[in-house]
Amino acid sequence: MFALRRTKRGVLASATLAVSALAISAIPAQAFSVHAETGVTATQIKLGITIPLTGSAAPGYSKIPSAMQAYFNYVNDNGGVYGRKISLVVKDDAYLPTLAVAKTNELILKDKVFAVVGALGTANNKAVAKSVNLGRRGIPDLFVNTGYSGFADAKKYPTTFSLFPSYIMEAKIMGQYIKENFAGKKLGLIYQDDDFGTDALVGFKQAGVKFDVSVPYASGSQSAQSAQGWIGKLKAAGAEVVVMFGVTTASGAALATAAAMAYKAQWILGSVGGDATTLKAVGVPAYVLTGAMGASFLPAPTDTTDEYVKFFQGINTKYNGDAVFDNNVLVAMNTAMMAVQALRAGGKNLTHASVMSGLENSGSSFASASLSPINYASGVHVGYSGYWFGTYNSAGELKPNGGAYSVYTTDSGAGAIVKSTFKRPALPANGLPTN
Amino acid sequence: MLKRKPTTQVQIDMDKNIARRKIIGAAFFIFLGIALYVASNIVDELRVYQGATVAVYVVAISSIILLTGYSGQISLGHGALMAVGAYAAVLSRNYWNFPIPLTFAVAVLAAALFGALLGMAAGRLSGPYLAGTTLALAVGLPSLANQFKILGGEEGLTYDVGFPPLALGQDFTQYKWFFWIAALAALAATWVIFNVLGSRYGRQWRALRSNPTAAALLGVHVARSKVLAFTISSGVAGLAGALMSMTISLVTPSAFPLSLSFAIVTGAVLAGVTLLTGSIVGAVVLVAIPEVTAALATHLGGSEKVTSNLPGLMMSALLILSVLFFPNGPQLHRRKTRKS
Amino acid sequence: MSRIINTLLIGISGGSIYSLMSLALVLVWRSTRVVNFAQAGQAILSTYIGYVVVTHTDNYWLAFPVALLSGALIGALVDIFLIRILARRANSGPVAAIAPVIATLGLLGLIRAIVGMIWGGDLRRFKLPVTNHGFTFGHTTIPFAPINLLIVVTTVIVMLIFSVIFQRTNLGLALRASAFSPEIARLAGVRVDLTRTIGWAFAGAAGAIAGVLVTPTNYLSPNSLDLLLVSGFVAAVIGGLESLIGAALGGLVLGISLAFVLEYISSSLAFPVAFVVLMAVLLIKPAGLFGGKRVRSA
Repeated sequence: MFALRRTKRGVLASATLAVSALAISAIPAQAFSVHAETGVTATQIKLGITIPLTGSAAPGYSKIPSAMQAYFNYVNDNGGVYGRKISLVVKDDAYLPTLAVAKTNELILKDKVFAVVGALGTANNKAVAKSVNLGRRGIPDLFVNTGYSGFADAKKYPTTFSLFPSYIMEAKIMGQYIKENFAGKKLGLIYQDDDFGTDALVGFKQAGVKFDVSVPYASGSQSAQSAQGWIGKLKAAGAEVVVMFGVTTASGAALATAAAMAYKAQWILGSVGGDATTLKAVGVPAYVLTGAMGASFLPAPTDTTDEYVKFFQGINTKYNGDAVFDNNVLVAMNTAMMAVQALRAGGKNLTHASVMSGLENSGSSFASASLSPINYASGVHVGYSGYWFGTYNSAGELKPNGGAYSVYTTDSGAGAIVKSTFKRPALPANGLPTN
Repeated sequence: MLKRKPTTQVQIDMDKNIARRKIIGAAFFIFLGIALYVASNIVDELRVYQGATVAVYVVAISSIILLTGYSGQISLGHGALMAVGAYAAVLSRNYWNFPIPLTFAVAVLAAALFGALLGMAAGRLSGPYLAGTTLALAVGLPSLANQFKILGGEEGLTYDVGFPPLALGQDFTQYKWFFWIAALAALAATWVIFNVLGSRYGRQWRALRSNPTAAALLGVHVARSKVLAFTISSGVAGLAGALMSMTISLVTPSAFPLSLSFAIVTGAVLAGVTLLTGSIVGAVVLVAIPEVTAALATHLGGSEKVTSNLPGLMMSALLILSVLFFPNGPQLHRRKTRKS
Repeated sequence: MSRIINTLLIGISGGSIYSLMSLALVLVWRSTRVVNFAQAGQAILSTYIGYVVVTHTDNYWLAFPVALLSGALIGALVDIFLIRILARRANSGPVAAIAPVIATLGLLGLIRAIVGMIWGGDLRRFKLPVTNHGFTFGHTTIPFAPINLLIVVTTVIVMLIFSVIFQRTNLGLALRASAFSPEIARLAGVRVDLTRTIGWAFAGAAGAIAGVLVTPTNYLSPNSLDLLLVSGFVAAVIGGLESLIGAALGGLVLGISLAFVLEYISSSLAFPVAFVVLMAVLLIKPAGLFGGKRVRSA
């Protein structure tokens, strides 16, 4: 019953526990700062990130924060950004939008970070942008880790800057490539049946590619067992070229099962599920991957001839405990390098506004590992827009088709697909930006 | 061993106390409302946001307390019912532009209707069979949002309750607005549940929970009574879902994972599952503990593997300890001691 | 025709894994009336222990018994240090029904966190004992490989062993008696606590077998058996929770239905299937396929 007066030891004990718990956690992490802008002092710039560190979405992504911090530490050891050292506050959101909002609130209201950098996930970023209302608070939401095209709307998300090309762009460029190289072949598609995969469908439609058989799968249902069903369908339809638009565990299951069921096709892996290092970790034998094709906007993490990759591998050895250098580590360090340049572009008198105008004004000339041009401009918050195609060799390395990286760019709308003439800026001396 | 031992004494409530209790109850709610109003003006914005989350959990936990603590049914799928409420609210908002209070009413009705159907099907089931069915629902239902374009898929639908009215002043933040709405809804929901539990139905449920056979002999329609409890509980869960979506401004399947269903059952157990007022304690603990454990983990330091798993470790340990040491909730504990 | 057969084969190989997990849950349910959500945690810990053995020795057949024994040991420890105490403290009122759920969920979280602390969250590869390349007849390769055969055969053997133990031995009699009526069993001289702990150890071993059999076909991570737990539980409920044959059939019913829905209706409906199948079975037989009347009112 509703027993007000009967509150006994149990309730009191747990209530006391809860209240004292709140009191402990209310102790502010940061005393007050001398600088006018939140999260910036004379000696420090505090950034924050929400990302899954635990739970089923954590594998792979949980490596990102420490790799970002590794590059920041390198910059810090070499003078920081105008004398200020960068620190990254990391919060685990377990890939849940509710937690992403709660943790971002902690980042902003308790840890008082200057900006959010590299937050992961479409729904999470959408929820955060609206509920925490980063735009109204004027807090920069830099380089969100998602290919959702909606963040291009700078009016709706005024402080959000996306970096990666959208899934629509990827599918458009891939579609064009398929039309040029595999005309007349039977085409198959496996895609994740949520915004990630359905965005891809939009892109393929734009490019005018029709698949003879397409197999959707529910996110999280991928396994060797369900992949037997996918492969069965592709086999029955006689697909000769198969596009895989899913996460790494799904493309891993598809490739391994295809080999187990003696199904041969020309595989084309999307960039999300195409990381060779992770594919090998989930049990795809090298011979299965050999000859498959993949798309990417970054150089392959195994390409040691690339000056950026080589430099980041060095940082990884010295500052990141020699973690396995895969696409996630490369993405993280590249994002960190972009962030350092954004902070530099914000000037000595660093403010939220100065960082964002710095990105809009000079972001397109930043040094980054990507082979795609960067499109930042006034009111344009979309970063990369291009992909290159390659084929996995017998060592599982993605090598550009035709020997040299040739990048195609497009937009998320009806825009044309063009061969890029972009020449990537050289790696700054010692990997330390001087913009 | 863990089987419920039927108590021979069927609890039939003392009617003369009811009127007096209702007055005390009403006074309590008014006092609580004032206290919350004052609190929302002195604590900082993060606490106001967390207060809104607490209010959401209060509603969600109440739905479990009503269902499990009073009618003796188990649900591991209330997260799915929250999803039903949330989607109903956002659709009525986005397509018919319903005013906010009406979207909450839609959430309650939709979830209650869904719960009634489920309750009718599941009414014949008990214990682990019901647990299994609701668990399967929690896993299966949210993913359906990707099958229907109208539901917005994984990227979700924006749920916008608008900015606070200007009359409340310039510095009245969005989160304070969320908090007011959620706290008011929580008070109202708790008030309604309190009255339902004090009514004939509430007494029937308790009789049913203590001894189904005796209750049936006394004329309680067992199946109908159970379905009614499931329906009301589902409606309350639907409200919680709509409120939760308001606090994150988004309705998306990933906001309703299996862990949400588990979390609210956990909250109900921490609350002492037969004590409605306990819902506040349960809710505060659910919101506070992750923050405290995360802060503690950062403080303790260690390798990344350790720090990222430390909050989960502490949360789980706490859960086990609380079930071991306050298993029956304070009220049953009291009843037992009195008997002996 | 070959499409139907292939789908059936996919369903059988998937379903047999559910059967093993379901068997573990049924063993615990029979001995202590607890739905053990920590089963996924116990299994993942045993599997990681097996993983350590297999990475050091490169011998799957050494890892298998090690994982199995660790699973049994972990199961026994869980019963002794958690469930016994819980059974003494939370044995009446509405909480008696959900306290074990919460306690075992807590334990699941605890074990996952410990596993995460020791091995991290990375995906790991567990060596296959036999090939996963499907049997080939002429030019057709069927979606059923030696590994699937191994899983099915192991499931059947485990089932048989437990059936013999339960039906033909004194231990089995004690197990059934302690589950049916602890008080009477105790009066009859059965060491009920010990018997129940043995039930938990058996379950732990069965869960560990499920873990080391399914993991090589996929990958290992602290969460990689979570979905298996849900499927296993649904399968156990379909089977009626009481019977070993029910557990096995429940797994197969679920696995085969899933395979057919994914093949013939939509390949993205993986998650709602369990609910629909469970509902369908329970509407016809409210106590599952092999559940007795007694269970329902318990």
